[in-house]
Amino acid sequence: MGDSQYSFSLTTFSPSGKLVQIEHALTAVGSGQTSLGIKAANGVVIATEKKLPSILVDETSVQKIQILTPNIGVVYSGMGPDSRVLVRKSRKQAEQYFRLYKEPIPVTQLVRETATVMQEFTQSGGVRPFGVSLLVAGFDDKGPQLYQVDPSGSYFSWKASAMGKNVSNAKTFLEKRYTDDMELDDAVHTAILTLKEGFEGQISSKNIEIGVIGNDKTFKILTPSEIEDYLQEVE
Amino acid sequence: MSRGSGGGYDRHITIFSPEGRLYQVEYAFKAVKAAGITSIGVRGSDSVCVVTQKKVPDKLLDQSSVTHLFPITKYLGLLATGMTADARTLVQQARNEAAEFRHKYGYEMPVDSLARWIADKSQVYTQHAYMRPLGVVAMVLGIDEEKGPQLFKCDPAGHFFGHKATSVGGKEQEAINFLEKKMKNDPAFSFEETVQTAISALQSVLQEDFKASEIEVGVVRKEDRIFKVLTTEEIDEHLTAISERD
Repeated sequence: MGDSQYSFSLTTFSPSGKLVQIEHALTAVGSGQTSLGIKAANGVVIATEKKLPSILVDETSVQKIQILTPNIGVVYSGMGPDSRVLVRKSRKQAEQYFRLYKEPIPVTQLVRETATVMQEFTQSGGVRPFGVSLLVAGFDDKGPQLYQVDPSGSYFSWKASAMGKNVSNAKTFLEKRYTDDMELDDAVHTAILTLKEGFEGQISSKNIEIGVIGNDKTFKILTPSEIEDYLQEVE
Repeated sequence: MSRGSGGGYDRHITIFSPEGRLYQVEYAFKAVKAAGITSIGVRGSDSVCVVTQKKVPDKLLDQSSVTHLFPITKYLGLLATGMTADARTLVQQARNEAAEFRHKYGYEMPVDSLARWIADKSQVYTQHAYMRPLGVVAMVLGIDEEKGPQLFKCDPAGHFFGHKATSVGGKEQEAINFLEKKMKNDPAFSFEETVQTAISALQSVLQEDFKASEIEVGVVRKEDRIFKVLTTEEIDEHLTAISERD
């Protein structure tokens, strides 16, 4: 990968044994817009802020939450262009799995393959790590699942997690509110309240995005009017 | 006890700085501003218009060869603000990509597909050390069959957004402030209003009145969907209409 002139890794160990480029990538994620995910007993919800640089931007042209397969969705915090690359690669891997096994790819496998791509960019020649962390939400035979993948390529399954600017406050809030027997609707309300905690300005259906997946195993991105309904329930 | 910027290369190639920034990408943005030209794009209800300054530095230059406005296909236009050479290579690749798309899929490449392709290519340059980011911000315009008039802006970082109106270049912030006021209540501009808003925005931020030969104007209209560069006579008509209106 890359030109032969750059067939050496740019991510190398520091004397203290750290991979500094990965740490800097995590800093880039930490300055991105807040996103979070919550796993309920009967589904998963992911949500993110959608703050655009100007009112002149057409917000319908921007979608941060993306569908990877009919039953798996993803949201990111960090550098948008990098996330597009990962979404494209993940979708292709999911299709290749289906073509080979004639079965939808299990969530864990897709997460692992995406994480492998991210790890490769921390070791291959002439490339930098991805400046994004991903929250992957899916529902398959093993039930609802939520995974967070970091620029290093490491991934963990979470009951609830947050990433980006307001991560520590958001995580504290989630820890207090999370219960194992939460229903999907409660989880959506909690997600909105968590976003509201660190939100600068007025939260509305135009500056957040929410994606849910329930027992129907179909990942759905909520329309602005559906978000509006939830916002009013939360008020 | 970090070793600081990893050997000091974070300013030379696109690797992360300690604050998680990509300095090379930020410098690419500065290169766009340093070109000293401001461009404006406005999307109306049935048309899109882009305007840019035409600065010919030397009287001996052939004026017709100095341009930042390029047709990509019959229906797609691209206004490249920034380094001219980088603009030309981007246009060349975009033309190729659009033609291949038409051949492969049997229908014209939509505006957002081209914008996404340009943005994805730019993202590759921000992640691979062997190529620097291009010092160009591209405004892509066209009429989408389903969504109507579209204006996209693609930058060296790999971002791309659809815009109701936008600006790039030395005076972009002033122009964006001007346009935000004009577009505040989601007006539905006719073709003439679209063109005049774009031109008067440029006049306002640069604080000078133009001659038709000092600006380039590109438009695309719903009725025929063809991307056209306005002639000096057509530009003159709009300039006259603006001065009469004021």
